Amino acid sequence: MFRAHHLHDDRLFECYVAERSGETPDPHAAEHLADCVDCSRRYVELSRFMDTLRAEGQAEADAVFTTDRLCAQQQAIDRRIEHVGRPARVISFPGASTARTIASKTARVAPRWVAAAAAAGIFVGAALGTSYEWTRGLSPRSFTRTRPIGSTTARNSSPRTTRPVEAVPTGGSSPADVAADEAFLSDLEVALDRPRTEELRAYDALTPHFKEIKDVR
Amino acid sequence: MSSDLRTVPGLENARDQQADAPAGRRTPAAPLTEDSKLAVEIRGLMDAGNMDDARDRFGDLVAMHQRRATRIAYQYLRDAAEADEAVQDAFVKVFSHLTSYREAWPFEVWFTRILINGCLDRRKARMRRDRWFVPAETMAMDEAVLGAASTAGPDPERRLLARERRARIAQAIDRLDGRQRTVFTLCHYGDYTPREVSMMTGLNESTVRVHLFRAARKLRGLLGGQP
Repeated sequence: MFRAHHLHDDRLFECYVAERSGETPDPHAAEHLADCVDCSRRYVELSRFMDTLRAEGQAEADAVFTTDRLCAQQQAIDRRIEHVGRPARVISFPGASTARTIASKTARVAPRWVAAAAAAGIFVGAALGTSYEWTRGLSPRSFTRTRPIGSTTARNSSPRTTRPVEAVPTGGSSPADVAADEAFLSDLEVALDRPRTEELRAYDALTPHFKEIKDVR
Repeated sequence: MSSDLRTVPGLENARDQQADAPAGRRTPAAPLTEDSKLAVEIRGLMDAGNMDDARDRFGDLVAMHQRRATRIAYQYLRDAAEADEAVQDAFVKVFSHLTSYREAWPFEVWFTRILINGCLDRRKARMRRDRWFVPAETMAMDEAVLGAASTAGPDPERRLLARERRARIAQAIDRLDGRQRTVFTLCHYGDYTPREVSMMTGLNESTVRVHLFRAARKLRGLLGGQP
C-alpha cells in the first residue's frame, strides 16, 4: 500500500551512484532513505550487490595480474617505446645482386621474342610457299610432270638409288597422259610398299600382301 | 554496432561538449591532475628532443594507470594475455602520440579512451575469429592462474565457490548490451564517475546514468539479486 510512496529503483540507484562518486544526492531521496525502513533496506541490498560485483571483479583481475606480471608488463612497454621517436634504420639495398637479377630476367625475355619471330617467320613462309605453289598449279603452261626413267626397274632398286628424274613439259591433260600418270603412281606405290631389305625379299614373295587380300575380297 | 564507442559522438564532439559545459562540469581551466601534469612534462621533453628522459618519466605515468587499465581490459576481454597486450598497445600508442595531447582533456580520460577503443577492436577481431575457427580451451592460462591463487587459501571450498561466482558474474556481464557493458565496466571496475565516463565515451552524462542503471538492473535479474 505504501509502496507507491517508496523510492523507485532508478532513484535508489541514483543515490548509490551519487554516494560512490562523491556527489550530493537528491535531498528528497536522501530524506526518504533516512526515514523509510523498507527503502533503506533496499538501498543496503543494492549497495551490497553492487559492491560485491565490484569486489569480485577486481579481485579476479588482481589474481591474474599479480605484481610480478605488472612489472613484466611495464618492462615490455619500456622495450616497445625504446624505438619510438628514433629514425628507422635503413638497410642498404642489395644493388649488385639486383642488377644481376634484372639482367638475367632481360636475357630470359629475349629468347621468347626470338622464338615468336621464328614461329611467325615459319608461318609466313609456309603461307607464301603454299600460295605460290597454288598459283603455279592454276597456270596450265607452268605445269610440269616428272617421270622416272626406267620405271619398270623401280621394283628392283632401292628408292635411294633411283635415278634422277627429268621434268617433261606437257601440253594438257589428255586421257593418255592421265593413264600414264596413274601407272606411274601405281608403280611408285608398289615400290614403296615392297621391303627394301635384300634378305627379306624371299619372305615378301611368300607372304600375301594387304592389297592382294583386299582385291580378293 | 552499438558496442563500438566510435559510433557515438566522437572525440571532437565530446570536446565541444566540454567547452560548452556548465559550471559544474570539468573545464579546461580546472587545475590539472597529477597525471595530466606529468603528461604535459613528458610532452615538453619530447618536443625538446629529450627522448630518453621522456621515456623515464613515462614509466611513472605507466605505473600510475597500469593497475586500473589491466582491470578494465581484463573485464572487457576476459583473457589475460589479450588484456596484457591491449594495455601495452594503449601505452605505446599514448607515448607515440603524446605530442598531440592537449591539457583540455584529463590524461586519464584520454588514455582510457584509447584503451577502450583497443579493447573493442580486439573483441570484434575475436568475434570474427570465433566465427571461422573452433575456439581453443577457453582461457586455460587464466584458469591455471586462478586455480593456483585459489589453492593458496585455507578453505578450498570457499575458493571454488568464489570461482564459480566470478564465472557467473562474467557471463552475466557478457550478456549486457555493448554500451551498457562499456559504461558499467568503466564505472564499476574503472572507478570512474558518470561524468568521466561521459567524457570518455562522448555520451551524454544522463545517458550514461541510464545505461548504468539498466545494466545494474539487468545484472540483478540475471544473477537473481545475488552475485
